[in-house]
Amino acid sequence: APLTTEFFLQGSVMENSLETLVNRLKGLCDNADYQQESFQDHEMVFHIKNTSVPTPLVFRVRHSLVQTECWSLRYLGHAEVGDKNRPTLVRSYIDCPTSENVAQFIGELGFRMDHEFVVKGFYFHKGRMKITVSKFYKMNQPGNTTNDTIETVCPSYLVELSVVTSSGQEAVGDDMKNFAEQLKPLVTLEKTDHRKIQLAQT
Amino acid sequence: MGVVCVFACPVPEGKSGQQVVDGLQKQVEMMGATKSGNFLVDCETYQSNPQNVTQTPQQCVVNILHNSEHPASCFSVTESGQILVSDLLFEDLMSKLTMAKAGRESFYSQRKGFKIESRGQRYEVGDFIIKIGSVSLASNFRGILIEVEYCPCVILNECWNMMKELLQSMVGNSAETPPPVLKHKPDTVYTPSDTILQYLDHFNNFRKAVSAPPPSR
Repeated sequence: APLTTEFFLQGSVMENSLETLVNRLKGLCDNADYQQESFQDHEMVFHIKNTSVPTPLVFRVRHSLVQTECWSLRYLGHAEVGDKNRPTLVRSYIDCPTSENVAQFIGELGFRMDHEFVVKGFYFHKGRMKITVSKFYKMNQPGNTTNDTIETVCPSYLVELSVVTSSGQEAVGDDMKNFAEQLKPLVTLEKTDHRKIQLAQT
Repeated sequence: MGVVCVFACPVPEGKSGQQVVDGLQKQVEMMGATKSGNFLVDCETYQSNPQNVTQTPQQCVVNILHNSEHPASCFSVTESGQILVSDLLFEDLMSKLTMAKAGRESFYSQRKGFKIESRGQRYEVGDFIIKIGSVSLASNFRGILIEVEYCPCVILNECWNMMKELLQSMVGNSAETPPPVLKHKPDTVYTPSDTILQYLDHFNNFRKAVSAPPPSR
Protein backbone atom coordinates (compact mmCIF):
# COMPACT_ATOMS: atom_id res chain seq x y z
CA ALA A 1 0.00 0.00 0.00
CA PRO A 2 1.38 3.46 -0.79
CA LEU A 3 2.60 5.21 2.32
CA THR A 4 0.67 8.34 3.18
CA THR A 5 1.94 11.81 3.96
CA GLU A 6 0.47 14.54 6.10
CA PHE A 7 0.86 18.14 4.93
CA PHE A 8 0.21 20.49 7.84
CA LEU A 9 0.43 23.96 9.34
CA GLN A 10 0.21 24.86 13.02
CA GLY A 11 -0.66 27.85 15.14
CA SER A 12 -2.28 28.65 18.45
CA VAL A 13 -4.91 30.88 20.01
CA MET A 14 -5.55 31.98 23.58
CA GLU A 15 -8.68 30.82 25.40
CA ASN A 16 -10.39 34.20 25.01
CA SER A 17 -10.16 34.02 21.19
CA LEU A 18 -11.59 30.52 20.92
CA GLU A 19 -15.22 31.48 20.29
CA THR A 20 -14.33 33.96 17.56
CA LEU A 21 -12.09 31.42 15.81
CA VAL A 22 -14.70 28.65 15.99
CA ASN A 23 -17.36 30.97 14.54
CA ARG A 24 -15.02 31.98 11.70
CA LEU A 25 -14.24 28.33 10.95
CA LYS A 26 -17.94 27.44 10.97
CA GLY A 27 -18.46 30.14 8.34
CA LEU A 28 -15.60 28.98 6.11
CA CYS A 29 -15.95 25.20 6.39
CA ASP A 30 -18.35 22.51 5.20
CA ASN A 31 -21.61 21.60 6.95
CA ALA A 32 -22.14 25.05 8.44
CA ASP A 33 -25.74 24.24 9.45
CA TYR A 34 -24.79 21.25 11.54
CA GLN A 35 -23.61 21.46 15.12
CA GLN A 36 -19.84 21.60 15.18
CA GLU A 37 -18.05 18.30 15.70
CA SER A 38 -16.13 17.89 18.93
CA PHE A 39 -13.78 15.18 20.07
CA GLN A 40 -12.26 13.85 23.30
CA ASP A 41 -9.38 11.45 22.80
CA HIS A 42 -6.88 9.65 24.99
CA GLU A 43 -3.49 9.00 23.43
CA MET A 44 -0.78 6.68 24.77
CA VAL A 45 2.69 7.07 23.28
CA PHE A 46 4.73 3.87 23.11
CA HIS A 47 8.44 3.37 22.41
CA ILE A 48 10.40 0.33 21.27
CA LYS A 49 14.15 0.46 21.72
CA ASN A 50 17.10 -1.33 20.29
CA THR A 51 20.55 -1.42 21.85
CA SER A 52 22.20 -0.52 18.53
CA VAL A 53 20.90 3.09 18.57
CA PRO A 54 19.23 5.17 21.32
CA THR A 55 16.39 6.75 19.29
CA PRO A 56 13.28 4.65 19.77
CA LEU A 57 10.55 3.89 17.24
CA VAL A 58 7.36 5.61 18.39
CA PHE A 59 3.84 4.26 17.88
CA ARG A 60 0.75 5.99 19.26
CA VAL A 61 -2.43 4.31 20.49
CA ARG A 62 -5.36 6.66 20.29
CA HIS A 63 -8.96 6.11 21.25
CA SER A 64 -12.05 8.18 21.63
CA LEU A 65 -13.42 8.76 25.12
CA VAL A 66 -16.82 9.37 23.52
CA GLN A 67 -17.02 6.50 20.99
CA THR A 68 -15.16 4.02 23.13
CA GLU A 69 -15.04 1.29 20.47
CA CYS A 70 -12.89 3.44 18.13
CA TRP A 71 -9.20 2.64 18.63
CA SER A 72 -6.32 3.28 16.30
CA LEU A 73 -2.58 2.70 16.06
CA ARG A 74 -0.67 5.64 14.59
CA TYR A 75 2.77 6.50 13.36
CA LEU A 76 3.92 10.07 12.79
CA GLY A 77 7.28 10.70 11.11
CA HIS A 78 9.52 13.67 11.84
CA ALA A 79 8.06 16.99 10.65
CA GLU A 80 10.15 18.26 7.75
CA VAL A 81 10.35 21.96 6.97
CA GLY A 82 11.82 21.43 3.51
CA ASP A 83 12.83 24.46 1.43
CA LYS A 84 11.20 27.85 1.91
CA ASN A 85 9.14 27.48 -1.28
CA ARG A 86 7.17 24.64 0.25
CA PRO A 87 4.17 26.19 2.02
CA THR A 88 3.59 23.44 4.60
CA LEU A 89 5.31 21.03 6.97
CA VAL A 90 5.36 17.42 5.81
CA ARG A 91 5.60 14.11 7.70
CA SER A 92 4.81 10.50 7.03
CA TYR A 93 1.52 9.47 8.59
CA ILE A 94 -0.13 6.11 9.23
CA ASP A 95 -3.43 5.87 11.10
CA CYS A 96 -4.65 2.26 11.32
CA PRO A 97 -8.04 1.36 12.88
CA THR A 98 -7.68 -1.62 15.22
CA SER A 99 -9.47 -3.77 17.77
CA GLU A 100 -9.58 -2.58 21.37
CA ASN A 101 -6.69 -4.73 22.61
CA VAL A 102 -4.07 -2.75 20.67
CA ALA A 103 -2.19 -1.47 23.75
CA GLN A 104 -1.77 -5.01 25.17
CA PHE A 105 -0.83 -6.29 21.72
CA ILE A 106 2.01 -3.84 21.10
CA GLY A 107 3.14 -4.41 24.69
CA GLU A 108 3.72 -8.05 23.72
CA LEU A 109 5.71 -6.90 20.67
CA GLY A 110 8.14 -5.12 23.00
CA PHE A 111 6.71 -1.57 23.15
CA ARG A 112 6.62 0.28 26.50
CA MET A 113 4.42 3.29 27.25
CA ASP A 114 6.43 6.49 27.52
CA HIS A 115 3.64 8.97 28.31
CA GLU A 116 -0.07 9.58 27.80
CA PHE A 117 -2.39 12.56 27.54
CA VAL A 118 -5.96 13.61 26.86
CA VAL A 119 -6.83 15.98 24.03
CA LYS A 120 -10.21 17.66 23.58
CA GLY A 121 -11.44 20.07 20.97
CA PHE A 122 -13.32 20.71 17.77
CA TYR A 123 -12.79 19.66 14.18
CA PHE A 124 -13.89 21.04 10.85
CA HIS A 125 -13.56 19.97 7.23
CA LYS A 126 -13.25 21.95 4.05
CA GLY A 127 -12.98 19.53 1.13
CA ARG A 128 -10.04 17.31 1.99
CA MET A 129 -8.58 19.75 4.52
CA LYS A 130 -9.10 19.06 8.20
CA ILE A 131 -8.86 21.77 10.84
CA THR A 132 -8.63 20.91 14.53
CA VAL A 133 -8.65 23.24 17.53
CA SER A 134 -7.33 21.26 20.49
CA LYS A 135 -6.50 21.60 24.14
CA PHE A 136 -4.10 19.18 25.80
CA TYR A 137 -4.41 17.75 29.29
CA LYS A 138 -1.88 15.89 31.35
CA MET A 139 -3.10 12.93 33.37
CA ASN A 140 -2.31 13.06 37.08
CA GLN A 141 -3.19 9.40 37.60
CA PRO A 142 -1.90 6.84 35.09
CA GLY A 143 -4.73 5.44 33.00
CA ASN A 144 -7.34 7.75 34.52
CA THR A 145 -9.04 10.10 32.05
CA THR A 146 -11.86 11.46 34.24
CA ASN A 147 -12.23 15.25 34.45
CA ASP A 148 -11.19 15.45 38.09
CA THR A 149 -7.82 13.78 37.42
CA ILE A 150 -6.72 15.70 34.33
CA GLU A 151 -5.40 19.25 34.14
CA THR A 152 -4.62 21.54 31.23
CA VAL A 153 -1.04 21.80 30.06
CA CYS A 154 -1.44 25.47 29.12
CA PRO A 155 -4.36 27.83 28.44
CA SER A 156 -3.92 28.03 24.63
CA TYR A 157 -5.45 25.89 21.94
CA LEU A 158 -3.35 24.25 19.21
CA VAL A 159 -4.82 24.94 15.77
CA GLU A 160 -3.81 22.50 13.03
CA LEU A 161 -4.69 22.52 9.34
CA SER A 162 -3.85 19.24 7.63
CA VAL A 163 -4.35 17.08 4.57
CA VAL A 164 -3.44 13.39 4.48
CA THR A 165 -2.69 12.10 0.99
CA SER A 166 -0.15 10.03 -0.94
CA SER A 167 3.25 11.72 -1.11
CA GLY A 168 4.05 13.89 -4.14
CA GLN A 169 0.78 15.84 -4.14
CA GLU A 170 2.54 19.16 -3.76
CA ALA A 171 -0.40 21.26 -5.07
CA VAL A 172 -2.16 20.56 -1.77
CA GLY A 173 0.19 23.02 -0.05
CA ASP A 174 -1.03 25.97 -2.11
CA ASP A 175 -4.70 25.26 -1.27
CA MET A 176 -3.77 25.09 2.38
CA LYS A 177 -1.78 28.32 2.25
CA ASN A 178 -4.77 30.12 0.70
CA PHE A 179 -7.10 28.80 3.38
CA ALA A 180 -4.68 29.80 6.13
CA GLU A 181 -4.68 33.39 4.77
CA GLN A 182 -8.43 33.56 5.44
CA LEU A 183 -7.90 32.83 9.11
CA LYS A 184 -5.54 35.77 9.63
CA PRO A 185 -5.28 37.75 11.85
CA LEU A 186 -7.28 35.49 14.24
CA VAL A 187 -4.63 32.81 14.03
CA THR A 188 -1.36 32.60 12.12
CA LEU A 189 -0.85 29.08 10.76
CA GLU A 190 2.75 28.48 9.85
CA LYS A 191 5.57 26.00 9.41
CA THR A 192 6.83 25.73 12.97
CA ASP A 193 10.32 24.22 12.93
CA HIS A 194 9.96 21.34 15.42
CA ARG A 195 13.71 21.00 15.77
CA LYS A 196 13.78 24.42 17.48
CA ILE A 197 11.23 23.22 20.06
CA GLN A 198 13.28 20.08 20.72
CA LEU A 199 16.49 22.13 21.06
CA ALA A 200 14.78 24.45 23.55
CA GLN A 201 13.94 21.44 25.72
CA THR A 202 17.57 20.25 26.01
CA MET B 1 -20.72 -14.75 9.49
CA GLY B 2 -21.60 -17.97 11.24
CA VAL B 3 -19.66 -20.73 13.02
CA VAL B 4 -16.57 -22.02 11.20
CA CYS B 5 -14.71 -25.30 11.75
CA VAL B 6 -11.43 -26.08 10.02
CA PHE B 7 -10.11 -29.64 9.82
CA ALA B 8 -7.16 -31.28 8.10
CA CYS B 9 -8.06 -33.93 5.59
CA PRO B 10 -5.73 -36.93 5.64
CA VAL B 11 -3.99 -37.91 2.38
CA PRO B 12 -3.95 -41.74 2.26
CA GLU B 13 -0.84 -43.69 1.21
CA GLY B 14 -0.66 -44.11 -2.51
CA LYS B 15 -2.86 -41.14 -3.29
CA SER B 16 -1.69 -37.65 -4.27
CA GLY B 17 -2.95 -34.43 -2.72
CA GLN B 18 -4.53 -33.40 -6.02
CA GLN B 19 -6.44 -36.69 -6.23
CA VAL B 20 -7.86 -36.16 -2.73
CA VAL B 21 -8.83 -32.54 -3.56
CA ASP B 22 -10.54 -33.67 -6.78
CA GLY B 23 -12.43 -36.36 -4.85
CA LEU B 24 -13.60 -33.86 -2.23
CA GLN B 25 -14.70 -31.40 -4.90
CA LYS B 26 -16.75 -34.11 -6.65
CA GLN B 27 -18.30 -35.11 -3.32
CA VAL B 28 -19.29 -31.53 -2.55
CA GLU B 29 -20.70 -30.99 -6.05
CA MET B 30 -22.78 -34.17 -5.68
CA MET B 31 -24.32 -32.58 -2.55
CA GLY B 32 -25.58 -29.81 -4.79
CA ALA B 33 -22.94 -27.21 -3.91
CA THR B 34 -22.24 -24.42 -6.39
CA LYS B 35 -18.80 -22.86 -6.92
CA SER B 36 -18.52 -19.33 -5.58
CA GLY B 37 -14.99 -18.26 -6.40
CA ASN B 38 -11.63 -18.97 -4.84
CA PHE B 39 -10.38 -18.37 -1.33
CA LEU B 40 -7.02 -17.78 0.29
CA VAL B 41 -5.85 -17.75 3.91
CA ASP B 42 -2.15 -16.91 4.26
CA CYS B 43 0.34 -16.41 7.08
CA GLU B 44 3.70 -14.64 7.36
CA THR B 45 5.85 -14.85 10.47
CA TYR B 46 8.11 -12.21 12.02
CA GLN B 47 10.57 -12.54 14.86
CA SER B 48 12.08 -9.90 17.13
CA ASN B 49 15.68 -8.78 16.96
CA PRO B 50 17.62 -10.03 20.02
CA GLN B 51 18.98 -6.46 20.41
CA ASN B 52 15.49 -5.12 21.24
CA VAL B 53 15.26 -3.79 24.78
CA THR B 54 12.43 -5.81 26.33
CA GLN B 55 11.44 -6.98 29.79
CA THR B 56 11.65 -10.67 28.87
CA PRO B 57 14.70 -12.20 27.21
CA GLN B 58 12.75 -14.58 24.94
CA GLN B 59 12.32 -13.83 21.31
CA CYS B 60 8.88 -12.46 20.34
CA VAL B 61 7.20 -14.06 17.36
CA VAL B 62 4.21 -12.55 15.60
CA ASN B 63 2.13 -14.18 12.85
CA ILE B 64 0.26 -11.98 10.41
CA LEU B 65 -2.66 -13.63 8.60
CA HIS B 66 -5.13 -12.62 5.93
CA ASN B 67 -8.44 -14.25 5.08
CA SER B 68 -10.02 -13.53 1.68
CA GLU B 69 -13.41 -13.74 3.43
CA HIS B 70 -12.46 -10.45 5.19
CA PRO B 71 -10.46 -8.66 2.48
CA ALA B 72 -10.02 -5.29 4.22
CA SER B 73 -8.63 -6.78 7.41
CA CYS B 74 -5.40 -8.10 8.76
CA PHE B 75 -5.07 -10.44 11.78
CA SER B 76 -1.89 -10.34 13.88
CA VAL B 77 -1.32 -13.02 16.50
CA THR B 78 1.32 -13.10 19.23
CA GLU B 79 2.58 -16.29 20.87
CA SER B 80 0.27 -15.81 23.84
CA GLY B 81 -2.72 -15.87 21.48
CA GLN B 82 -3.42 -12.11 21.66
CA ILE B 83 -5.04 -11.22 18.30
CA LEU B 84 -5.11 -7.73 16.87
CA VAL B 85 -7.79 -7.28 14.22
CA SER B 86 -6.98 -4.22 12.13
CA ASP B 87 -7.11 -2.49 8.79
CA LEU B 88 -4.55 -3.64 6.17
CA LEU B 89 -2.60 -0.44 7.03
CA PHE B 90 -1.12 -2.46 9.89
CA GLU B 91 1.30 -3.86 7.32
CA ASP B 92 2.68 -0.34 6.74
CA LEU B 93 3.23 -0.10 10.50
CA MET B 94 4.91 -3.51 10.45
CA SER B 95 7.24 -2.31 7.71
CA LYS B 96 8.41 0.46 10.11
CA LEU B 97 9.40 -2.33 12.51
CA THR B 98 11.17 -4.40 9.85
CA MET B 99 12.98 -1.53 8.15
CA ALA B 100 16.64 -1.20 9.03
CA LYS B 101 17.69 2.43 9.13
CA ALA B 102 21.18 3.89 8.82
CA GLY B 103 23.07 2.90 11.94
CA ARG B 104 20.25 0.87 13.45
CA GLU B 105 19.08 -2.66 12.88
CA SER B 106 15.42 -3.47 12.41
CA PHE B 107 13.26 -4.42 15.40
CA TYR B 108 11.64 -7.36 13.63
CA SER B 109 12.56 -9.48 10.64
CA GLN B 110 10.58 -11.84 8.48
CA ARG B 111 11.24 -15.55 9.10
CA LYS B 112 12.42 -16.91 5.77
CA GLY B 113 10.71 -20.00 4.40
CA PHE B 114 7.82 -19.72 6.85
CA LYS B 115 5.16 -18.29 4.55
CA ILE B 116 2.25 -20.74 4.47
CA GLU B 117 -1.16 -20.60 2.83
CA SER B 118 -4.36 -22.56 2.19
CA ARG B 119 -5.79 -21.88 -1.22
CA GLY B 120 -8.63 -23.41 -3.21
CA GLN B 121 -12.22 -23.48 -4.32
CA ARG B 122 -15.11 -21.97 -2.32
CA TYR B 123 -18.55 -23.59 -2.49
CA GLU B 124 -22.04 -22.68 -1.24
CA VAL B 125 -24.72 -25.25 -0.46
CA GLY B 126 -27.86 -24.25 1.42
CA ASP B 127 -26.79 -22.44 4.60
CA PHE B 128 -23.23 -23.80 4.40
CA ILE B 129 -20.01 -22.48 2.89
CA ILE B 130 -17.41 -25.17 2.18
CA LYS B 131 -13.77 -24.45 1.30
CA ILE B 132 -11.33 -27.10 0.12
CA GLY B 133 -7.80 -25.79 0.50
CA SER B 134 -4.41 -27.05 -0.60
CA VAL B 135 -1.78 -25.99 1.91
CA SER B 136 1.64 -24.89 0.67
CA LEU B 137 4.63 -23.98 2.80
CA ALA B 138 7.22 -22.00 0.84
CA SER B 139 5.61 -23.30 -2.40
CA ASN B 140 5.75 -26.97 -1.30
CA PHE B 141 2.47 -28.87 -0.94
CA ARG B 142 1.94 -29.87 2.68
CA GLY B 143 -1.65 -31.08 3.02
CA ILE B 144 -5.35 -30.28 2.74
CA LEU B 145 -7.58 -28.17 4.99
CA ILE B 146 -11.39 -28.28 4.84
CA GLU B 147 -13.31 -25.28 6.17
CA VAL B 148 -17.05 -25.57 6.81
CA GLU B 149 -19.13 -22.56 7.85
CA TYR B 150 -22.73 -22.79 9.04
CA CYS B 151 -23.99 -19.25 8.48
CA PRO B 152 -27.25 -18.90 10.48
CA CYS B 153 -25.69 -19.77 13.85
CA VAL B 154 -23.09 -17.98 16.00
CA ILE B 155 -22.79 -20.41 18.92
CA LEU B 156 -20.75 -23.59 18.33
CA ASN B 157 -22.68 -25.76 20.79
CA GLU B 158 -25.94 -25.08 19.02
CA CYS B 159 -24.82 -26.42 15.65
CA TRP B 160 -21.85 -28.72 16.34
CA ASN B 161 -23.79 -31.99 15.87
CA MET B 162 -24.99 -30.92 12.44
CA MET B 163 -21.57 -29.62 11.37
CA LYS B 164 -19.96 -32.83 12.65
CA GLU B 165 -22.21 -34.91 10.41
CA LEU B 166 -21.18 -32.91 7.34
CA LEU B 167 -17.49 -32.81 8.32
CA GLN B 168 -17.22 -36.54 9.07
CA SER B 169 -18.52 -37.35 5.60
CA MET B 170 -15.51 -35.44 4.26
CA VAL B 171 -12.63 -35.91 6.74
CA GLY B 172 -13.72 -38.98 8.69
CA ASN B 173 -12.97 -39.45 12.38
CA SER B 174 -10.68 -36.46 12.80
CA ALA B 175 -13.93 -34.45 13.14
CA GLU B 176 -15.10 -36.49 16.16
CA THR B 177 -14.67 -33.50 18.47
CA PRO B 178 -14.67 -29.74 17.82
CA PRO B 179 -11.39 -28.03 16.88
CA PRO B 180 -9.08 -27.71 19.96
CA VAL B 181 -9.01 -23.91 19.64
CA LEU B 182 -12.80 -23.75 20.12
CA LYS B 183 -13.10 -26.33 22.90
CA HIS B 184 -12.91 -23.83 25.75
CA LYS B 185 -15.49 -21.47 24.26
CA PRO B 186 -18.39 -23.56 22.93
CA ASP B 187 -21.08 -21.17 24.22
CA THR B 188 -19.56 -17.81 23.29
CA VAL B 189 -20.36 -15.84 20.16
CA TYR B 190 -18.14 -16.98 17.29
CA THR B 191 -15.88 -14.35 15.69
CA PRO B 192 -13.58 -14.17 12.62
CA SER B 193 -10.59 -14.24 15.01
CA ASP B 194 -11.60 -17.79 16.02
CA THR B 195 -11.25 -18.87 12.37
CA ILE B 196 -7.79 -17.30 12.22
CA LEU B 197 -6.72 -19.14 15.40
CA GLN B 198 -7.86 -22.46 13.89
CA TYR B 199 -5.87 -21.82 10.70
CA LEU B 200 -2.80 -20.78 12.70
CA ASP B 201 -3.05 -23.98 14.78
CA HIS B 202 -3.10 -26.08 11.58
CA PHE B 203 -0.35 -24.02 9.93
CA ASN B 204 1.91 -24.52 12.96
CA ASN B 205 1.26 -28.28 12.81
CA PHE B 206 2.20 -28.33 9.11
CA ARG B 207 5.34 -26.29 9.85
CA LYS B 208 6.39 -28.70 12.63
CA ALA B 209 5.91 -31.68 10.31
CA VAL B 210 8.42 -30.16 7.88
CA SER B 211 11.13 -32.62 8.90
CA ALA B 212 8.96 -35.46 7.55
CA PRO B 213 8.83 -35.82 3.74
CA PRO B 214 5.75 -34.09 2.25
CA PRO B 215 2.90 -36.20 0.79
CA SER B 216 3.07 -36.47 -3.00
CA ARG B 217 1.34 -33.73 -4.96
